[in-house]
Amino acid sequence: MRWPYENKTDEVIHHRSSVLILGGGIAGCMAAIGASIEGDDVLLVDKGCVRYSGAGGSGCDHWESAATNPCSTVSPEELTKAMLDDNDGYNNAISHYIECVEGWDRLQDIEKMGGKIRDTEDEFVGAAFRDEKTKLLFAYDYKARTTLRIWGTTFKPAMAKELKRLGVKICERIMVTGLLTEDGCIGGRCVGAVGFDVRTGAFHVFQCKTAVMCMSRPARVWIFSAAYPGLCEFRPTNCIGDGHAMGWRAGAEFTLMERSVKGEFSAAGRSYPPYMAGNNHNTWYATDLIDAKGRAIPYADRDGNILTDVSQRFYPAKDQPFFLKGGAIDEPLFDIAGPETLPYEQLHEKGYQLPFYADLSELPQEERKVIWGMMVGQEGKTQVPVYRYLIEQGFDPEKHVLQCYGTGWKSAEFLPKERQLFGIPGGFMHDWDLQTNLPGLYCAGDVLFSSDCYGHAAATGHYAGRHAAHAAKNLDYKALTKSQVDEEHRRIYAPLQDQDGIRWKELNEAIAKTMQNYCGEVKCDGLLKTGLEELEKYEQNVLPHLYAANPHELMRLIEVEDVLTVAQLIIHSSLNRRRDCKQAHFYRSDGEAGPSEPFIVVRKTQDGVKARQVSLDFAGDLRTNYALHSLKGGNDSERV
Amino acid sequence: MSAFEIRPVEAAKPICVDETKCLRCGQCVEACAIDVLVQEAGSVPFAAYADECWYCGCCVMECPNGAISLHHPLMNQPRFVEKKRLTEE
Repeated sequence: MRWPYENKTDEVIHHRSSVLILGGGIAGCMAAIGASIEGDDVLLVDKGCVRYSGAGGSGCDHWESAATNPCSTVSPEELTKAMLDDNDGYNNAISHYIECVEGWDRLQDIEKMGGKIRDTEDEFVGAAFRDEKTKLLFAYDYKARTTLRIWGTTFKPAMAKELKRLGVKICERIMVTGLLTEDGCIGGRCVGAVGFDVRTGAFHVFQCKTAVMCMSRPARVWIFSAAYPGLCEFRPTNCIGDGHAMGWRAGAEFTLMERSVKGEFSAAGRSYPPYMAGNNHNTWYATDLIDAKGRAIPYADRDGNILTDVSQRFYPAKDQPFFLKGGAIDEPLFDIAGPETLPYEQLHEKGYQLPFYADLSELPQEERKVIWGMMVGQEGKTQVPVYRYLIEQGFDPEKHVLQCYGTGWKSAEFLPKERQLFGIPGGFMHDWDLQTNLPGLYCAGDVLFSSDCYGHAAATGHYAGRHAAHAAKNLDYKALTKSQVDEEHRRIYAPLQDQDGIRWKELNEAIAKTMQNYCGEVKCDGLLKTGLEELEKYEQNVLPHLYAANPHELMRLIEVEDVLTVAQLIIHSSLNRRRDCKQAHFYRSDGEAGPSEPFIVVRKTQDGVKARQVSLDFAGDLRTNYALHSLKGGNDSERV
Repeated sequence: MSAFEIRPVEAAKPICVDETKCLRCGQCVEACAIDVLVQEAGSVPFAAYADECWYCGCCVMECPNGAISLHHPLMNQPRFVEKKRLTEE
């Protein structure tokens, strides 16, 4: 079958903008908006279409940790401290503080753009989760009121419209494949990027004064399905860690890339689509769960007290200031643990029988309505695939109960060696300006180390964008290095030649199996080094013999080359952490004795991989440093 | 007797376009962030790379005429029952 787009692989298109935004998801769009406010010209480039791209493209139901919203009873300092304490300091204080302080500001911006952030239709008047004055709705802890329920399906289209209104240059369907550095040197200032059109194959060269890296986090490093690659991971197929790969190649610093968890989700065979099977997690909190005989499964607070009323599920325990639930909260420590159904082991002992079911039928009406039709409906990938689908199948939340699979929301079990970058994995290292060690390269959203979720992406996006624009004012354009551009051109287009070459799926499967074998649950130098050798063999022997039939397939192939680079980065990071680190889920069979090392920061140089240690509290005092660095003035001066 | 064909065996068919309702506007193609849909000039779009679909449903949300529908593979269709059945037995 003929490829319907024109072949433009011999075309070269040049772009120039003060600020270049790499990625058009939530972080990228908010970065472009933040940068535009400073007045400079801004160009945003996205692999897909800005209206629906990114992990939050199809919606979101919860905006976490907006500690400065008018109803919040928790300060940004308290909330950030809780997140840090929950991980013994192995978390991103800077990015989460920005999230906690500025999340509410960004939500108001999105409202002005046309996104729906409050119950303007008065659907939930009188609900315990609603503030009557502001009409804001809250999730999880109704006393803390730091996480809002939002109509996230309206957000991305609103942002796309705003970008046009602001005059941001938008380049869609272009995959950026590499960063350009000053004099083409590894570790040099970021001066641009290159990429190609995923429909026509045209080559694009971007020159900029500063750039913001917003390309989400890696995926498909350990888990792959040739039959359902689009269902392998939680995020979209094309959120694959291109940013991490090109950053590593350019000499950027990374930390905590050795942190991974046993697989939690893959609908490519095991899990069901997110929030489509019975569960009481996030979107479905705090629905009733029942067993096969219709017996209600008890909820307990963190002290083990069985809750007797639904309303108790939304308030902290006695002597507990607040609890946290949400994307990055997996197995919370006691201090912030919220109500939960009893663990399966206890239920089994008490005679509860599988399968369990999620039961909305006996919830107070407003709790049922806010889950079924709002949370399920506004959360990404739920409006059509879950809400409309189940209704079409005849599901009635007042009559039917939805089966749970396995014993938790993940709806599946994985082997310890089948790992994922879930929760708060590693990413780019940065400073209080969200600038990386590559001068001129800023970063936002899930590319940051220990970062997660929608409000975080929006807050850090705007912050990084305005810093990039501010810095660009005092910078000149630097010449691009022809040899660096030419080498990237050669690398990108090579796979279009050899029709007998290896296709992207075969390579992705091989990388995943290699990582399972050599970089599984328990690490040791012998296995890690062998794994690195195997990956280097793919680099030497396989990359020159790949084939892509058209620019779309080329996109998938270059993504897999990026998976290979990320796998190497993960192994290098693992080699450089010599001791066990519980908070990084990192264990060695050959570990040195002694307390866990703090952040281990790695980067690629001319002379190989270098590592250094950075103290867990390198962010310093949050209020002071935020005041010094945030570039905010005006109505926020009372905060600083 | 008509001749047989060799055809690829799909693991799933997520996207279904009703030709009688399709306006050939191409909005579904432009809405797909993963670019799985293609449209030859004036004809009905189809999923050239259906295996890459991440089942977000944005194409369905975007279609102005309800022509496109999303289908989960059999293995991903969860079960639900009438609650009273559980207590009846």
